[in-house]
Amino acid sequence: MSAAPGRPKQARTAAAGEGTPVSLARPPEEARTAAAGEGTPVNAALIVEEGAMGRVAYARVDACLVDAHGNQRRVHGPAVEIVSLAGEVRLLDDGSLNAALTGVVADTAGSVHGGLFVAGSNTVCMTLEVTLEEWLPASATSS
Amino acid sequence: MTAHVRTSSSLHFVEPRARVIKHPGPLNAQRIQSRSAAFARHFRLSLGPGTTLADAVIVPLLQIGVRSASMTVLGGQFAELHYCLAPPDPTHQAVIAYTRPRNLGAALMIFGNATLATLPDGKAVVHCHAAVGASDGVHGGHIVPHLSIVGTEPISVLVTAWTGFELSVRFDSETNIPLIQPTPEVLP
Repeated sequence: MSAAPGRPKQARTAAAGEGTPVSLARPPEEARTAAAGEGTPVNAALIVEEGAMGRVAYARVDACLVDAHGNQRRVHGPAVEIVSLAGEVRLLDDGSLNAALTGVVADTAGSVHGGLFVAGSNTVCMTLEVTLEEWLPASATSS
Repeated sequence: MTAHVRTSSSLHFVEPRARVIKHPGPLNAQRIQSRSAAFARHFRLSLGPGTTLADAVIVPLLQIGVRSASMTVLGGQFAELHYCLAPPDPTHQAVIAYTRPRNLGAALMIFGNATLATLPDGKAVVHCHAAVGASDGVHGGHIVPHLSIVGTEPISVLVTAWTGFELSVRFDSETNIPLIQPTPEVLP
C-alpha cells in the first residue's frame, strides 16, 4: 500500500468494535487451535501487499453523532457497539491537522445509527480496538 | 450545560457532556494502550461458502503465520447468522454482559469489522461487529463467529496484519472481563 504521489501524510482508521471481545457468558468454542489450520489449502484469493502503518490502540460509549441534517443525536448505552468506523487525520495546506470520524453504531436493542462522531463526546465504555494506518508518500518509503 | 469546543475548522456545540460510568475494578490510569509496527501487510481474504466465519478467517491466516489482524468484512450473504448484544449487566459484575446469541437465520452482512487475536491458551479467536440485514430489518451487534455460516457465495475480507506485536485476550481487572490488548510478540 502506498499513498498517491504528493498526497499529504494521513492516517486511516479501521475499528474492530466497541464492547468486549470475549463475554463472560460466551462459550469459548469460537477459538481454534493453531494446528486446526494445518493441511487446509491457503485460500487462493489471498493477495499480499506491503505498506507502512501506525499503531493499534486499546482504550476504555454512549455515542454522540451528527446526522445528515446536522443534528446531534445521542445513542444511549452502555454499551453502544461500534459497527463501522472510518476516518482520517489529514495535514492541511496551512500546516494544521484536521481529523474526522464517521461510522455506524448499534444500541443496546440492536438498532443501528450512523453519522459523524462528535469530538470529545464519545467516551469509550469497555474497550475499543483501533488500527491506525499511516499512508506515506512513495518518496518516504523508498529511502 | 453547553460546552463550546473549537476544532481546527469550526465551532461545535456539545450537549450534554459524556456520561461517566464506574467500572467494578481499580482504575487503570493508562487509558490507551498502543504499540506500533513499521510495516504492515494487506491481504484480501475470501471466506469460503459453508464454513463458519471463525474457520474461514482463522484457518487461512494461521497458515500464513498471521495470528493478529484487523479486518474489514465487505459484506455478503450468510446461510446462518448469529449475533448478540451488550446491555447492562444485571449482576453488576461488569458494566455490560452479552445476551444469549440470537439466530437471524439466513441474513445479509452489510459490512463488518473484525479482529483476530489470541486467547491465553494460545487458541485464535475472532471478534466481529457488523450491521446485518434480516427479514425483520437491519440490526447491528456482536457477531458470533463460530455459529455464523457463510452462504453459497464467497465473502471478501480486507486484512491488515503486522509484525512486532500481537493482539492478545487478557483479563482486565478494571472492567472485570477479558479484553483484547496489544502485547509483545511471542515468536514460535
